[in-house]
Amino acid sequence: MLTPLLVLCMSFSFSQEKTISGNVTDQSGLPLPGVAVVIVGTTTGTQTDFDGNYSISAQVGQVLRYTYLGQKTVIRTVGAASTINVQMEDDAEALQEVVVQGYRTSTKEKSSIASVTINAETIENRPNASFVQTLSGQVAGLNITTASGQPGAASQVNLRGVTSINGNTQPLYIIDGSPVDENNFRSLNPQDIASISVLKDAGATAIYGNRGANGVIVIKTRQGSYNTGLTVNYTGILSFSTLQDNDYNLMNSQEQLTLERDRGAGLGASLTDAEIDAYQTTDWADFFFDTGLIQNHTLSLSSGGDNSSQFTSFGYFDQEGILQDSDLKRFSIRNNTSGKSNNEKFNYSTNLTINYSESNEPNSIGSGAINRNYVLGAYISVPYISPDDYTNGADLLSPLVFSNTPLFLLDRLRTYTRKEDEVKVIGSLNAGYQLTDNLSANVTLSADYQSEFLTRAEAPDSFNALLFGGAANPTSGFQQQISTRQFSFNQVTSLNYVNTWGKHTLDAGAFTEYFKAHFRDFGFFARGLDPKTFYPGDDAGFVSDNSANDVFIDDANATIRNAGLFSYFGQADYDYDGRYGITGTIRRDASYRFAGSNKWATFYSVAGRWNIDNEVFMENSIFDVLKLRASYGTSGNQRISGATYFSAPDLTKNFFATGPGYAGINSIFLSQIANTTLKWETVTQTNVGLDFELFNNRLRGNVDGYIKETSDLFQSTPVSAINDVTELDANTGTLTNTGLDLTLRYNLINSVDDGLNLEIFALGNYNKQELGDLPSEDGELIGTGRNGGKLFEYYTIRYAGVNPANGNLLFLDADGNVTENPDADTDRVWIDKNIYPDFNGSFGLNLDYKGFFLQTQFNYTIGVDRFDNDLADFQDPDAIGQFRHSRDLFRVWTPDNRITDIPSFDAFNRSSFTSDRYLRNADYIRLRFASIGYNFPAKLLEGTGFSRLRIFGNAENLFTISEWRGFDAEALNNGSRIYPTPKTLSVGFEFGF
Amino acid sequence: MKNFNKIFYLFGLFTVLVACNDAIDIDQPGRLDAEAAFKTVADLQSGLYGVYDRVDTSGEIAFSSIFTDELSIGFDNGGQGLADYAFVLNAGSTAPEVFWVGAYGAINAANRLIEAAQLVTPEADEQTQYNNILGQAYALRALGHLFLQNYFSTNYEDDNALGVIAMDFVPTIDQQLLRNTNGEVYGLIIADLDRANSLLDNDTSDPTFLNKDGILAMRAVTAAYRGNYTQAATFSQQLLDKYGLANRAEYEAMFLDTDNTEIIFKLERSVGDNYDGQGNTGSPEAGGWAGARFAFVDATLAGSPYFEMGRSLFNLIDPADIRYDVNVAPTSVIDPDYATNNDPALDILVIQKYPGSEGQPLMNDLKIFRSSEMLLIRAEAYADAGSFNGATNSTAALIKQLRDARFGTDTTLPVYASEAEAFAAILDERRVELAFEGHRYKDLKRLGSRANQGVNKDPIDCAFNGACTLPSTDYRFTLPLPIIEFNANPGLREQQNPGY
Repeated sequence: MLTPLLVLCMSFSFSQEKTISGNVTDQSGLPLPGVAVVIVGTTTGTQTDFDGNYSISAQVGQVLRYTYLGQKTVIRTVGAASTINVQMEDDAEALQEVVVQGYRTSTKEKSSIASVTINAETIENRPNASFVQTLSGQVAGLNITTASGQPGAASQVNLRGVTSINGNTQPLYIIDGSPVDENNFRSLNPQDIASISVLKDAGATAIYGNRGANGVIVIKTRQGSYNTGLTVNYTGILSFSTLQDNDYNLMNSQEQLTLERDRGAGLGASLTDAEIDAYQTTDWADFFFDTGLIQNHTLSLSSGGDNSSQFTSFGYFDQEGILQDSDLKRFSIRNNTSGKSNNEKFNYSTNLTINYSESNEPNSIGSGAINRNYVLGAYISVPYISPDDYTNGADLLSPLVFSNTPLFLLDRLRTYTRKEDEVKVIGSLNAGYQLTDNLSANVTLSADYQSEFLTRAEAPDSFNALLFGGAANPTSGFQQQISTRQFSFNQVTSLNYVNTWGKHTLDAGAFTEYFKAHFRDFGFFARGLDPKTFYPGDDAGFVSDNSANDVFIDDANATIRNAGLFSYFGQADYDYDGRYGITGTIRRDASYRFAGSNKWATFYSVAGRWNIDNEVFMENSIFDVLKLRASYGTSGNQRISGATYFSAPDLTKNFFATGPGYAGINSIFLSQIANTTLKWETVTQTNVGLDFELFNNRLRGNVDGYIKETSDLFQSTPVSAINDVTELDANTGTLTNTGLDLTLRYNLINSVDDGLNLEIFALGNYNKQELGDLPSEDGELIGTGRNGGKLFEYYTIRYAGVNPANGNLLFLDADGNVTENPDADTDRVWIDKNIYPDFNGSFGLNLDYKGFFLQTQFNYTIGVDRFDNDLADFQDPDAIGQFRHSRDLFRVWTPDNRITDIPSFDAFNRSSFTSDRYLRNADYIRLRFASIGYNFPAKLLEGTGFSRLRIFGNAENLFTISEWRGFDAEALNNGSRIYPTPKTLSVGFEFGF
Repeated sequence: MKNFNKIFYLFGLFTVLVACNDAIDIDQPGRLDAEAAFKTVADLQSGLYGVYDRVDTSGEIAFSSIFTDELSIGFDNGGQGLADYAFVLNAGSTAPEVFWVGAYGAINAANRLIEAAQLVTPEADEQTQYNNILGQAYALRALGHLFLQNYFSTNYEDDNALGVIAMDFVPTIDQQLLRNTNGEVYGLIIADLDRANSLLDNDTSDPTFLNKDGILAMRAVTAAYRGNYTQAATFSQQLLDKYGLANRAEYEAMFLDTDNTEIIFKLERSVGDNYDGQGNTGSPEAGGWAGARFAFVDATLAGSPYFEMGRSLFNLIDPADIRYDVNVAPTSVIDPDYATNNDPALDILVIQKYPGSEGQPLMNDLKIFRSSEMLLIRAEAYADAGSFNGATNSTAALIKQLRDARFGTDTTLPVYASEAEAFAAILDERRVELAFEGHRYKDLKRLGSRANQGVNKDPIDCAFNGACTLPSTDYRFTLPLPIIEFNANPGLREQQNPGY
């Protein structure tokens, strides 16, 4: 009954609106630009300009709120005065960088773990489709390599070495509380990311139990903030990417044809000098690779009221790969909201991102298929054939010669389709309720959904269809479509207790975690297409099976897999006086994968710190921060075989299967031999680290030493062929990674007055691997390594050069004697080399001067040895007449040129032995990233309506210094004819209002 | 406090709700465990198709033809087979590994079926089917052991020499067994053939499955290989009497898989089966269409032949012989003056033994036992007994009988000056008759010395690598035990074959 009365009683008055202006300064009196000034209870607001000045229209009695990151919020009521000057105070709590600790956060000072957090500024505005590529070189100990230039390709990410032989070696990724598929980031917009934290030691990862063995990467996306007006931000980037250079020194048409004539092989064999001179040189690398254009647009809107805030972004990304027929288009939407109750006891946040991408992704890359691998065509096609020689697929059938490789592939470019469409949705809800002052209940629900459609079609009039269909089947060709869906749900429920009394602080939590994942796929493979009605993705051209033959029989496929985990765990963190702290974690973990053998596992960790700088005796020392950390603990890897949650789901059982047998008749056959002792791999890690900041924070850094031992390594164990298999995987052996992470940053020039700031940085990781307890009699396993040796150490015959006497290849036998005829078995030796780096990291500088900025980042890698199989192709004398060669062959052994590195073309043993002849050092220094730009000062923007304007130019992989002769020194790959990562130049601008 | 309790209960409920075991006790759909796999005779029948599916000779065809003198490097060769072609053979080579692993895989599958059959009790009306299944399982086990013996035993005729590991049971994964003697392995083969013969019924109409005639053929081959020519003569004669020889039309049709006159046992290969594909080209790993051992696309000049017929084999085949039409593609480019022109590009001999069937180029059934091979075994027995000349009951008579059928005319009765000449004639006849069927390597091994022959390539085929001849006494006519087996079973290293 009161309400109507109240309304009726409201009085009316004329209120006076006036303009308030003033100046905002910080604690030391310097002007603060960009402070948000908002009239409480309205959406009216403004920001201070470059000199800290503002003006706003308000009514007397209204309340102005001044907020700025790292400063305490100030409230002023509008009174008679029309000038309100504000001096803000530093907010010590807020200034402390927040450190993600897994399921909770802490301040940098009170963190006991080894972790690194990267902020948006260092990852935004880069042209990479996947943010993982951008992370490369930014965290000591995190080795990121990308072996494919396919837009959005997955990278290989190893934190502090590789911890598993057969299982997952990638870190666990958590986006806004949701664990996500680590092999698929192409659909996520990197511009939405606010921060990335890399958790390295057991103190940080044990709480992730069965999933934390390879480290954890925690990603937070941007959020709106409470009580801020609408901010609109737009970023546009335009990039051009090109093929990186190579050093193979390839022949032109005249050289290649002359070589052919000398060898009596191929086209050149029957040509005269004059005829040879008439040929043009086509560099097929320039044909199959060309400049790729990348556009990247992101528009974001954020705002916040008293009890709610939101961040919304729209992104459009369109990248042409440098390889023909490879591209990625992505449309992404993100909406993050957060809110709280009036009494601030209940708070929640939701994160939802919906993404759609379309990508043309050629297959057979890396293979030796001369009619399918475009990269092969780019590299080894003979230069005297030109694209003008192409007419159609049918004309290539006869004569069918290898040297027509580029035309086969050109035909395939025109007639083959391979496309992936993907929808990816990630959503999460975090909610918490403060039960008492000290106790809160929290829940995080999250889901990751991914739906992918693959469409492949080989047109009926294509060379490949005609070739394999033959005249008997003019409607050859095929179309395949596969739908793959993956859904995972994760829920963490917890009770958290925080209390401070005297100098003591205790933060403890009890948690349960439930994870369930589902995989479904289905598809068809339709043989026979009618060229009159065929269109990729449509069934109009399908040819049906008939009674005359079986060549038009179609196949169908479908798969169901389910996976799950369940765990409960607890963590307690105790701090005394900001000087000492200890954190303990214990987790019980169950995996569906070991349900038949060892269902439950326990992981734990203990971590401690000593904030030396907070001790009395450290007063007036040069150290601003000096903190010693140590941790010890275990985490697990339940994905011991294959990279996905669904691979090897039930290895503990013997299985038979049904399927086509003899003559295609349905049959029953053995499909799996059980391993009844199966368990997770355990990584036990000891870490000791020191964080330091000196000379008024000008020198900052940390150093961490670690020993990381994987035990119960799941690996192939040889069994006698009488069992129908020659190896079974079992938990046996150890792999130890020992190493050091170092990060140093120094503000070389730090000036407030003239605005010149220069920071230099260097970071790196040294890592040494050692295998132990390998499952073989002599402690050696070919392909894996030997006890005490490196992982995947090469075991091969040593090449020793060319015999000056006869041009044959020379090798070393096991005892080191030179021989032309080594024993392919017993003369192989361990050569103490592998593909993983001993050292890797980066260095560079960040410079800014009055709005101009320049950043560089050089990545380096030392200790990588790879087989240059592309070089082997370019030097293969048996391919003369078919493929392209390097000018290296001019140095071939002849009786007149006896001292050389190129064996005689006729050396009897030129293809008899596998050796380390083409093993090459792939160490490199690369300008991984450089950026130059200008931030327009607020003064210049006055009256334009913009609050922020920035222009910039970027370069990725601008140059590389390396002995490696191939197109990309970075790829952690021993294959050949792979798709190299490009060199990319970008220009972009960003504005906000 | 009341409020606190409420929330605490709610929290508890949440935990319980999600704590269900559905996350950790998951049975994937479509799994068939060992207990449920074989419960009925019909299941055993399906299991038998699974065992047959493990038998493949495409690797043998590839290896034998590349390593010996049946083929030459083709103009469309992209590096395929160069090591085998240069006689490079060691414990790390492909052939020993895939032959060893493949045959033991098939034997293991047969043993699993035999053991599963013990637990199935057939109904009265299923007894015949049950016996037939079991009989074929034993026969397949014998075939597997025979295959291994052929490649890994140093001397078939010596019962005390080392054979392979005799497997008549399903082993456990930690077992490390050593080689048995030839006597023991052949003992198991004969016993298996006896068991098979007593279980199989008398229907021999379908040559794509092992029947009693197949057993008899295996007996004939085993006896001949072991030098036991009395038995070999008896068994081969029985089959020769029953099957006879194909006429020219039937012979051509046989290699299109439309005639079975001469066929005692062959492995069916059809569209959609597990061998319907290219397989591993140029490698004894093979596993696809038989014809893809020589060409990528089809058995014509335009079919990208990466191997061509060896000139020395080609020179042995008379164009009037139906075997010329069967083996040499009409699209071949033949240079009569190849020896003087010395240009392989002018002399392209395209192999057509496997032109394809069922509309699929290069895909043909794999012929295991044919009556012509029985005839040639019978001829060996005559030669061994000294009766190599004469119009009847002699090597010469049988060779003439075979040629008459192949030429379709009355050919001259050959006369041999010596036993060696007779064996050389048999070996040459086998080389033509059984070309590209995986026999040449084994034939040179066991008959080479008696015929005074070895690998002999025409100079034009080996000019580029110098690997022209290899005497039949070379250690490489027995395969090495593969490294892959030593990794699991290091004791076997001591039993490696000589020379490796």
